[in-house]
Amino acid sequence: MAIFVVAAAGILAWKPSALIYGVQRAGLYAAVAIPMALVLGIVHIVNLAHGEFMMIAAYAAYFAARLLGLDPFLALLPVALVMAGFGLAVYLATVKHAMKAPELNQLILTFGIAIALSQSVNLAFTSQSWKLSLAYVSASATVGELSFGVFDFVYAGIAIILAVGLRLFLTRTRFGKAALAVGENPRGAAIVGINVDRTYALVFALSVALVGAVGSVFLARQAIFPNVGGPYTMKSFCLVAMAGVGNITGVLFCSLALGLSESLINSIRGYAGWSNIVFFLIIIVTILVRSLRERKS
Amino acid sequence: MSRAVRWIVPVVALAVAALFPLAAGPYPLAVARSVLTYMALAMSWDLLLRSGQISFGIAGFFGIGAYTAALSALHLGLPPVLSIVAAGVVAAALAAVLGLVILRLRTVYFAITTLALAEIFRVIMQNGGDASGGPEGLVMPSLIFNGEAKALYWTSLAAVLLSGTVSALFQRSRARLALTAIRNNELSARSSGIHIFTWLMIAFVSSSFLQGIVGGIQLQEYGFASPDSVFDSYYTLLPLAMALLGGTYSTPGPVVGALLLGVAAEYLKLKIPYGHLVVYGIIIVLVILLMPRGLYGVYRGQVKAWAGRPGVDRG
Amino acid sequence: MADLEVTGLGRRFGGLVALQNVSFSLSRGEILGIIGPNGAGKTTFINLVTGVYAPTSGCIRFKDRDITRMPAHQRARAGISRTFQIIHPLESLNVLENVMLGFLFCRRMRQAEARRAAEVLCRSLGLEGLGRDVAQITMLELKKMEIAHALATHPSILFLDEVMAGLNVDETRDLVALVRGIARERGIGVGVVEHVMSVIRDLTHRVIVLEAGEIIASGPYESVARDPRVIAAYLGKETAGGGA
Repeated sequence: MAIFVVAAAGILAWKPSALIYGVQRAGLYAAVAIPMALVLGIVHIVNLAHGEFMMIAAYAAYFAARLLGLDPFLALLPVALVMAGFGLAVYLATVKHAMKAPELNQLILTFGIAIALSQSVNLAFTSQSWKLSLAYVSASATVGELSFGVFDFVYAGIAIILAVGLRLFLTRTRFGKAALAVGENPRGAAIVGINVDRTYALVFALSVALVGAVGSVFLARQAIFPNVGGPYTMKSFCLVAMAGVGNITGVLFCSLALGLSESLINSIRGYAGWSNIVFFLIIIVTILVRSLRERKS
Repeated sequence: MSRAVRWIVPVVALAVAALFPLAAGPYPLAVARSVLTYMALAMSWDLLLRSGQISFGIAGFFGIGAYTAALSALHLGLPPVLSIVAAGVVAAALAAVLGLVILRLRTVYFAITTLALAEIFRVIMQNGGDASGGPEGLVMPSLIFNGEAKALYWTSLAAVLLSGTVSALFQRSRARLALTAIRNNELSARSSGIHIFTWLMIAFVSSSFLQGIVGGIQLQEYGFASPDSVFDSYYTLLPLAMALLGGTYSTPGPVVGALLLGVAAEYLKLKIPYGHLVVYGIIIVLVILLMPRGLYGVYRGQVKAWAGRPGVDRG
Repeated sequence: MADLEVTGLGRRFGGLVALQNVSFSLSRGEILGIIGPNGAGKTTFINLVTGVYAPTSGCIRFKDRDITRMPAHQRARAGISRTFQIIHPLESLNVLENVMLGFLFCRRMRQAEARRAAEVLCRSLGLEGLGRDVAQITMLELKKMEIAHALATHPSILFLDEVMAGLNVDETRDLVALVRGIARERGIGVGVVEHVMSVIRDLTHRVIVLEAGEIIASGPYESVARDPRVIAAYLGKETAGGGA
């Protein structure tokens, strides 16, 4: 994986703007994928509504901006808190009851939740896309002949903060360690006195809160519409799968690989439309490489 | 239930369905046709579900079928019926090739990959330039059977019969035991001598074949295929909800679900222009939480209880 | 030449050596006991021989064929079968259908044939009420079903992984007689992994003892039971007077 990233970066060195764009995209993907790494990778809850929670948060931030005049960055914390509550409510009402059932059920259940969420928003606000126009998102820098937008680097910053923060949380705090224990062996964790049900609920809520925070920032720059979350769910799953369950730093690397590849394809004239399916090709390659490696052992 | 009684219901239902066009007006006929389309798709989805794998890619193979039918009719001059067969064959072949790679995945990862597949196919067709008609898609010079409403209906009914037959075959043969064993516990299945990959492949290819056929029929009945129309996630969502509500791991279940939800869909589309799909999301959530085996599953449980003893699961 | 010959079998998981240098043989009609303290590698041992995963060293020969790399489902077809320590009956199928699987997929029978064969097999093991869901049967019936499921593949070699666990004295006696009958009447070589020593004593012709992934003793039960290394392995280092 590291080789791939370096190679892609090397190729893009010829087109620095594409390199920058790739890193920025990677930042966004990583920021959305890391909360997924928490809920799927650490405690193994399948949440196909992940992207939809981000979308809801973005809409909430939109209203905070329009009705309360709150800048999305200022709205970040309140939105995250609201999303935590919302995520907890959704978990307690639905996912919790599917925890003992086969994983199939979680899959379909959260798929249904995703549809319900995105279509409710569609119902309430139509499928029109909304956008804020904020002055600072068009901030740019110029290096030599190259001029590029700098705002999108904020996603990379958020991703790194999330990655580091999550690592610290999991290894240094009592709750984080409980989460790791529950993920590894729920029965064993229960025996040592960890409240497994509460851990699942709170981790789920935390993951929703984190992706909600990203959603708030997302609003600052991107247009939002009911189905905006879908592709991010897909890509987050793929990134977590590629990085390997439980590997948070791996998610950063894989996001880089994804972002750079997409940017690479995007920069080739006439092939821009294909960049969306790059991640699929990467998955296929990863699967093949992994199963070949398994054969050998 | 005695054997004779078990045949009465399907035969009567089939007779009613076959005679329906003679009594119905154009609007109910059109609604019925779309119900039949979803019914066939719902049965095809259930086929793969029996192995424990969920596909979110129905729209993908459906769309490939539609495009294959269009391209084979336009460029190879195939007559409509043959173009539909080609649609199924190409979808099946594609599934076979892709399956070699993606059937190594399980549950979530397989499901997401199938979701991605549909998107991939759409992007390919959208960027296919003149070959695939690009974003505007392909238009057919004429419809199958000249667009005669009754004939179109019976064509869709034929698709349902095909799906139903395949589904029933899988239920009556050793395929049911193989797929169920794989779904319950792969290790046990393997120790019984079941080759997991082979059976998954059989289920996946059969399921995709049916989806391709239905897509081909859709193309011939409506006369056009475009990336956004035939790869619409509608074609994944509705059959899924229908099979779930009606009852999974069975042939009658998706039929019941399609009838109920198909009619409801029409009604909802009229009343709620934006976001009527929210109902499907809610239905899926409710069914999984409260009635995971679906209506037919509940019915079967009741039959067992009335019989006073646990019966062998035939479905 | 024994039916099953295993030489130098070993398996590492990353840095952990689960099994090393295990050699033994098993022939039709023999009952071999496999004992050892918890974590000694008994289940890994069965997993390797039945093909759940491949060994990292060593060789398995079955009926003079090298089957070391053969996948699990093919080994089942070739004639090596096993029961699982934690039984996962296929809960969507009833008792009869669980047993039918081996007949259908290993012996390639047709459904009607397989059904009849399964009924006969179950009856011979004293298993009745085959239309029931697996959730409704007793522990002893579950064990019998598990054994029937393994027998349906027509094995020459059968491994029973702690099949007596959870049974009372009468049920254990029942099952011991059953296993003895299987070995003698069907001419199957049986490998029995057990913790209950009385079962090992009554049932087996020979015993091998595993500890920390290696065989530390083998022979008839009486000699193995008196072997000081075996006693030490079970009682732990303190009682044996220091040193492993």
